[in-house]
Amino acid sequence: MKKKLVSALLCISMAAGLLAGCGNNAGNEGKDSKGGSEETTLTMWMPPLDDDTEANFKNLLADFEEENNVNVEIELIPWESYEEKWSTGIGAGEGPDIGYMYAEMYPTYISSGVVKDMSEYLEDADYEEYKYIDRGEMMGGQYGMPIVTGVPFIMYYNTEILESLGETAPETWEDFKRICEKATQDTDGDGKIDQYGYAVGLNNGGMSNLYILNAYFYSLLWQAGGDIYNDDLKTARYNDEAGVEALEFFESLKAYMPENVLSLPAEDAFSTIFGAGKAAFGVTRSSQIQETLFAESYPDLKWDYVTSLKNETYGTFGAADSLSIMSSCENPELAAKLIKYICSAEFMTEYHKIAPGAALTVSEEYVGDAKMERIVTEDVDKWRPLQVGPCGSEILENLAAHIQSVMEGKQTAQEALDESVEFADETLAEYWEENE
Amino acid sequence: MKKKSGFLSKCMPYAYITPISLILITFVFCSLIVAIIFSFTKYNIIAPAEFNGLFNYEKLLRDKKLHLCILNTLKITAIAVPLQILVSTILATLISTRKDKLVGKIAKAALFIPVLSSNAVVGTVWKAILNSRNPMVQTFFGIFGIDPSMLLGSSTSALVTLALIMVWKGMGYYMIITLSSLMSISDSYYEAAKVDGANKWNLLTGITIPMLKPTLILNTFLSVVSCMQAFDIVYTMTGGGPSMSTTTLVMYAYQLTFKGAKAGYAMTVSNVLMAIVLVIVLFQQRFMRREASEI
Repeated sequence: MKKKLVSALLCISMAAGLLAGCGNNAGNEGKDSKGGSEETTLTMWMPPLDDDTEANFKNLLADFEEENNVNVEIELIPWESYEEKWSTGIGAGEGPDIGYMYAEMYPTYISSGVVKDMSEYLEDADYEEYKYIDRGEMMGGQYGMPIVTGVPFIMYYNTEILESLGETAPETWEDFKRICEKATQDTDGDGKIDQYGYAVGLNNGGMSNLYILNAYFYSLLWQAGGDIYNDDLKTARYNDEAGVEALEFFESLKAYMPENVLSLPAEDAFSTIFGAGKAAFGVTRSSQIQETLFAESYPDLKWDYVTSLKNETYGTFGAADSLSIMSSCENPELAAKLIKYICSAEFMTEYHKIAPGAALTVSEEYVGDAKMERIVTEDVDKWRPLQVGPCGSEILENLAAHIQSVMEGKQTAQEALDESVEFADETLAEYWEENE
Repeated sequence: MKKKSGFLSKCMPYAYITPISLILITFVFCSLIVAIIFSFTKYNIIAPAEFNGLFNYEKLLRDKKLHLCILNTLKITAIAVPLQILVSTILATLISTRKDKLVGKIAKAALFIPVLSSNAVVGTVWKAILNSRNPMVQTFFGIFGIDPSMLLGSSTSALVTLALIMVWKGMGYYMIITLSSLMSISDSYYEAAKVDGANKWNLLTGITIPMLKPTLILNTFLSVVSCMQAFDIVYTMTGGGPSMSTTTLVMYAYQLTFKGAKAGYAMTVSNVLMAIVLVIVLFQQRFMRREASEI
């Protein structure tokens, strides 16, 4: 009898625990009282940007917090579940005051009124001081202040392979293709290709097939003079002459890519093929300390890079991940002040010593390898962020699937792009019908 | 005192089922209701939902991507389920004959390990194995004339590969169910049949398979439902590619919710899946009832 009673009580307490777990802790939000004066709390969501982002940021924000009587609460969200956490958090009304966002996220959040246009908190001096501030302008407003930029996807080349072929760094598509063709070889004579022209991987799994576009396609599309959307953002345009030229050129390089290009993740293609010295070219995101990183990862690799090839023009993808103020923020002025402080020379000079990155302001000096500096100086106009438009992720995921289809030989470039643009236009028509 | 203990004994069964009932009500029943309600709305999770009538259901009919995802899901199910049942039954039969030997115990444990592993881990590890160009892996697949590094790169082979990995992942589970069912068949049936001159084939077809029939039906339906809900392995191994050839219904609903910000429509898609699973469960119950009455 006793046993039965105990087990019944245990069951009831489990149920009570379950119900308690379903509740929220709404009482802990907002402003805290500390030492008599009321301290404001600003919450900030961001991904990990270095080994210990939270501690590093908190340390560098100490003066700002004291000066403004504010407590900055940083919540780190892993990259793998970044968008999921954002949408579920915002949907549950538990979003932050400030958030780190990337291009693909903005359209939905802007059109849902979740992100605040921060133009009113910016002065003329800010537009002069913050070098990349224009890259936070999208869909008719200043919705973000770039915090991580200046690390575009660039084309690395193996100097030893190019020298052995009697070639120098490519400048045009023709140069690139010629070198790829010459580099694709069976070097050990076993009848199998073991050195490739271009280390490409098109299977990034659920992490995001958009990486395919970031690394390989936007550059060609922009170099051919194309883009994703028409200027009014109501229709897509990447099935035009430039789009087809870009995709046909990419398809024509397949013979110089690893045979398992469609099975291989892009990062693996770079590390296990280009990094291992088995390819003339590889594309990945750049870093201000690339020499140091490559020396650790690929000690035998002799490399250099070109920021962008040229066809009609230059172009490669360089993200402009930004800090934004949420509409629900109760103190947007203070939030804007915090964002400006984080992106300022005072904060970033120190932070870039821990995690090197491109200087965001004219006052900040370049920190990093001398070899990589030209990306943010003479080549600064050769890279750009993504055109932010409605239904971005959906349209671009579909485009990535169609690029795979072309590379698989199931469709021609024209057929794939036409089909993809048809889907994009239908999606956009539905969007504008609901939002106009 | 008597009255009190009577009251307690009446309450106790309810107390026992309260925790699981709450879990089921909150996470299953309420989720179903919410999914049905939201399927009639335009909802992107971020902004409040707006009622849009039957728009999402009309869209189901003209959504080519959805039709492709249903087809992919059915293909995976058609490949994985028969193999899973066949392999798990063979393994259970083999292990049951060696159940008291060390090799039987080791085999049982080894085959169950994949069941305990998370789908995401299994997907990531298999992807790494297939793409590794490891000589051992290459030699093994070479016996069958397959280059493992190409398997995830073609629309046809990627789907089959995923289905086979799902078979590998789940066979231990169905093997254990079948094994426990095999153990419960009384030896007296076999002894009586042997006295009547039955050979091994007669024993298998006349006793083992008929007695296992309810278990095999249960396994089949569990396996079908599990395949219809395939997500993690697909997500980690191919992300639905190449060219959407491995995008399943659940994967599509996920993409609609988190990439397309169309949670309302995603719930409509989920309701289609729920309807399919519901029909399957109803069939299963009918089969099980019939089998029970026959036995």
